[in-house]
Amino acid sequence: MNRRRVTVVAAAVGVVAGATGLGVLAMPAGAGPAPVLPDVSAEALVESVLGAKPAAFGGTVAVNNDLGIPSVAGVPQLSDGASTVRMWTDGTGKLRVQLPNGDSERTFVDDGETAWLWDSAEQTVTKLPHGSFEERKPELKPGEQQAAPTDPVTLSRQVVAAVQEYSDVTVDGTARVANRPVYELVLTPKPTEKTVLREVRVAVDSELRVPLRVAVLTNGTDAPAVQVGFSDLNVGPQDASLFAFTPPAGAKVTEPEVEEPSAEEKAAAEKAITEANTQVIGEGWDTVLAARVSQDALTGLAQQQEQQGENRRWEEREGQDVDVQGLLKQLGKPLSGTWGSGTLITTRVGGVLIADDGRVAVGAVPEQVLVDAIGQVK
Amino acid sequence: MSALVATRAPLGRQLRSELRWILRRPRTVIGLASLCLVPILAGIGLWFAVDGDGPAGPGLAGIIAGNGLVLPVFTLFLALPLLLPLVGAIWAADGLAGEAQHGTLRGLMLSPVGRIRLLGIKAFGVATMSLVAVTLIAVVGAITGAVLFGGEGMLTLSGSTLSFGAALGRIVLTILLVTVQVWGVAAVAMAISACTEHPLVVMAATMAGVIVFAVLGVFSALDWLHPYLITSAWNGLVDVMRDPLPTEELWRSTALAGCYIVIGLSLAAMRLATKDN
Repeated sequence: MNRRRVTVVAAAVGVVAGATGLGVLAMPAGAGPAPVLPDVSAEALVESVLGAKPAAFGGTVAVNNDLGIPSVAGVPQLSDGASTVRMWTDGTGKLRVQLPNGDSERTFVDDGETAWLWDSAEQTVTKLPHGSFEERKPELKPGEQQAAPTDPVTLSRQVVAAVQEYSDVTVDGTARVANRPVYELVLTPKPTEKTVLREVRVAVDSELRVPLRVAVLTNGTDAPAVQVGFSDLNVGPQDASLFAFTPPAGAKVTEPEVEEPSAEEKAAAEKAITEANTQVIGEGWDTVLAARVSQDALTGLAQQQEQQGENRRWEEREGQDVDVQGLLKQLGKPLSGTWGSGTLITTRVGGVLIADDGRVAVGAVPEQVLVDAIGQVK
Repeated sequence: MSALVATRAPLGRQLRSELRWILRRPRTVIGLASLCLVPILAGIGLWFAVDGDGPAGPGLAGIIAGNGLVLPVFTLFLALPLLLPLVGAIWAADGLAGEAQHGTLRGLMLSPVGRIRLLGIKAFGVATMSLVAVTLIAVVGAITGAVLFGGEGMLTLSGSTLSFGAALGRIVLTILLVTVQVWGVAAVAMAISACTEHPLVVMAATMAGVIVFAVLGVFSALDWLHPYLITSAWNGLVDVMRDPLPTEELWRSTALAGCYIVIGLSLAAMRLATKDN
């Protein structure tokens, strides 16, 4: 009888232990106590980040996205929810990035001479030899190049000074990211700023001086609207074979041809930019980008959308006659006032206001600021 | 007090006898033979799909062309959501409830073998047979894949090609990972099996549980619950086909199944210890 009781007690302990194990597994990993690091000023921290040498490391980046942006097919890292990016670099320009997505994966490998992009769902490889895209970089005039300070000390002072005009920059203690000690650099908008953002937190590695985690927090919530940070980081030389890529036997290899844009295309682009009349309204955190987009451009955009979103509802409508406003209204809510009427699309980090006559205003600001800005668009 | 010397049956002999007892049932042999058909049918289906344009399907099916060693992994992940839990539940149902139905459990309980040891022997039988079933599917899958699709190495989802040895390592790893998940389900089935004398109840309850768990895993509003569900860890096992191998999710799912094993066997022990003959 006694032995039976012992068995029952032992089994009950087993059940409790198993249930506790489930609980422990479900809990997010604790960060551990904050490390003790020598004090550093915000300016010195920014300076060291700008002057940091690229290091060799490999790790996993966890992306937690709660922006409220409509999902983008094929790139879960941009959509709402949690996802991961795995990356390795040897510090001299070679790079490997893997984007796992459900039961498929995209891999980007830059071996120093050629960049490869592999997509397991399509079994395709895209080959991008170096040099084919570099001519497209905007050319700086010699004078402009002189004006940009090259030494990190001057540059960081200018950066911090520019940021401090509208925000408080502080070092808010230390923490641990991917089991490495970090300084928490916090940018808080000044109270006079009207932005919807509450603060931006950047965790800087105390040794490498590389940002390991960036979190954007908005008004009214504790959880970050978006947080990108390493969950696992190995600093040191990485396996050289990671930075080599051989297209698998069965895969289709394509090499996109780079064509100089024709004069016609250039002219069209210039015309579009001139017509759009991009303006910057406000300053600091309240900056609103405004523009006037012609109806043709909106229709063109909508047709492209229609071609891409094969399974979307608006696909049911036939080709040419696209209802742009109807499309926008599915994404946002209608709004009208003395400035006219339009559609407001809001996310947790800001909004876009698109007026019916083609005026557009974008910014990390509340609705009222967008409405004020669109009234000023010429 | 002379002649009463306790004669103890050696553990090895008890385990052997349990396995012989299971393997001698004709339905066991027929069941295992039908499991061999799963990778063959999956391979033939994919073979026709590969003939067409574009990838043969989503996920692992997309990289199977010319890459036959992926077939065992593909088939195991295909069987894991429903078929393998059913297999585990059948062994567990036969182990205790089946014996109770035939009245043979009573004899076992009266025999001079401790009840915990009896449960241990039954659990060993279930675990071994689950491993045998999973291994059989993988071996037949590897042979079918090599015949139908060929290929010397194994192309991973990350686009790198593993050598033949490394590919075999990944297949063995998949067998072990999948078997532990089946053990997790079968341990809970053992607990149910200890409570009833109808094998059908065990199978129905286990399969209903697996299906309900899978449905709960679909709702994003219940995402606080997902880390506790054994079924929600199964999707992450596809990490075994990535290169370099990310181990975090594999360890987590194995530990989760381990918790289910501990809970299931403890509940079964509790019920068996308090069971009247």
